Amino acid sequence: MTVTDRSQAEYLKRYEKDDDGLRFQPLLYQGNYKGMDPIPDGILGDKMIRARMKSGVLEKVSHAEVLNDQFTLDELNDLNNYLAWNIWDVLVMRATEGVSGMIPRQEYEILSFMNEFYRYPEIMRYVTDQIGAQGIIDIGASARREIGTKINCVHDWCLGAVAFGMGRCGLLAGEWIKPDDYVEESNIILKFMQRVLWGKRQDGLILNSQDRYRCQIHDEDFLADLRTQIVDFEPGSEDQHIFEQFNATAELMSFFDHYDCRLGLGDTGPYPLPDGRLLIIRDLFVNEEVFHWSDVCEELPHCYTLLVVVDPAVMGLEEIRVNDISTTFTIPKNYVPAITGGAVLVREKWDTPMGEVYPVKLSELEPHLEKIREATFKMYKKTAMMSRHTLCLNGIYSYYIEMILPHLRRAGAYDAVCQKFDFWEIDQRVMNYYYEITKRNFVQVTVPMKIFSGEGYLPFSDDADLRASKYFWG
Amino acid sequence: MTVLAEGYNVFDTGKQPTGTIKYLGAPKDVIALIQSGKLKEHILLVRGGTTTFLAPALSMGAIGVVTMSGAPESHLGILSREFQTPCVMTVHLVEGSGSRYVPGETPDSHFEEIVAALDGKKVTLDCSDHDKGRVLLAE
Repeated sequence: MTVTDRSQAEYLKRYEKDDDGLRFQPLLYQGNYKGMDPIPDGILGDKMIRARMKSGVLEKVSHAEVLNDQFTLDELNDLNNYLAWNIWDVLVMRATEGVSGMIPRQEYEILSFMNEFYRYPEIMRYVTDQIGAQGIIDIGASARREIGTKINCVHDWCLGAVAFGMGRCGLLAGEWIKPDDYVEESNIILKFMQRVLWGKRQDGLILNSQDRYRCQIHDEDFLADLRTQIVDFEPGSEDQHIFEQFNATAELMSFFDHYDCRLGLGDTGPYPLPDGRLLIIRDLFVNEEVFHWSDVCEELPHCYTLLVVVDPAVMGLEEIRVNDISTTFTIPKNYVPAITGGAVLVREKWDTPMGEVYPVKLSELEPHLEKIREATFKMYKKTAMMSRHTLCLNGIYSYYIEMILPHLRRAGAYDAVCQKFDFWEIDQRVMNYYYEITKRNFVQVTVPMKIFSGEGYLPFSDDADLRASKYFWG
Repeated sequence: MTVLAEGYNVFDTGKQPTGTIKYLGAPKDVIALIQSGKLKEHILLVRGGTTTFLAPALSMGAIGVVTMSGAPESHLGILSREFQTPCVMTVHLVEGSGSRYVPGETPDSHFEEIVAALDGKKVTLDCSDHDKGRVLLAE
């Protein structure tokens, strides 16, 4: 394919101002907009819902606005409504997946959501007190010059979309809180999220969905260094096959080590290459040392970073999305045969300096593949022996601990938070909910209906008091 | 060929894997299949659309997957695409009661009917269509 072919690729139209993008699924979103036109997924959905915002918080915002500690009520409600749509946009179809048969993910997810809403505010306030608002912005900014970092789309998004959005939504659905409770705590969570995301993007926006699903965060000189590692290969070649197998096998392990969730995977991009192809930078975290079950991964590094080069002309690419949970989707759906170049890099530990990240040649991937397969089977046999209660508790850790862990590490606050706030303890109310959530179809019906469909994100009322708090600030 | 069941096609592919459907109901079934050395003789039938349940089977070369829930955006959908393992999700029988999967509202009898109709049958997966995947009775 020539550069000319690629420069005329259909997907480029998605970046034209008046283009509304394609639909990736047939469902429509209603949320808090009863009586108004339903909203679709994708670029058009983003346009429609942003047109309904009462404040400018989902447009480009300034540094000074991000440093300001307090959102207005309209801004809080706009963030609530936009995140509710964004959650629906990325998760509504996933929510059809049913029972795991292995890990009770639906159960541990809702418990984690609620635990985060209860517990993150005091931790976020403490960290902000320690390093300041600019320090939180700098945490996000650190991702611009690193690979193999968990300060990424999905973790940063989770700080607000999960801890505030889904956590509050779950508690409202269970009637454990009321809409105008915890306003102060909601502000703390959303400010922390906004600062990290804004610092990472540095274009005034916070979410990929606001930017036609692009997450092009890396500085050009940093990208140029990475590009020197890329090896080109032909579709159907042995090199492509081994790269494809490695990508899939490591990705599977990264899901598994994070209890069947996407926190193990982090895509950024798409970055256009000089020849018109697209680069996706994919972090696959196959060994998170903070979790005790990762003992079976001790032969593996913390992260494999894959440079995935996709040729839009080979696949007739019509749209590509790197969504806010760090996952790449395309139309046509199957981009794998269009991968025509790649590289694999290794970051041994979460804090390994960038200068010590090293490449692995494609011809040397097989021993790595074998170690990943062995770890996968060991993890499987280990997990299969665990009780439902143990799996739920581990699952709660894999969300509640994991989603803010990278930010605590970067702030140098992890040990202090463990000590000062009993970080690894679960709020007693949430432990009690463990026995409630399987009753009355709460997990199987209420949660998907309220959380993933966007129906349960009740707004703060006009009478809500920005100071309203139910916290014991001990 | 006779179409036994249809569902979401996770990704378009010309691959048409053929094998005997094996229903995997519990992790011990997955472990036993892998240890039998016969993984690649089977199209795997599972209830959920999550990844971990089939994790070792996927990494060790499963040739095809059929699920009774989930969508291409589910974790198993994402991973089967990455492995380029043909996968048809949320299948329903073409013949039979006409029962369809609805999250949280589907009785066990729905899944049992599908298992009874497919388990042990020699089938081919047709994943050539953009949206619809088909489970065909192999001649």
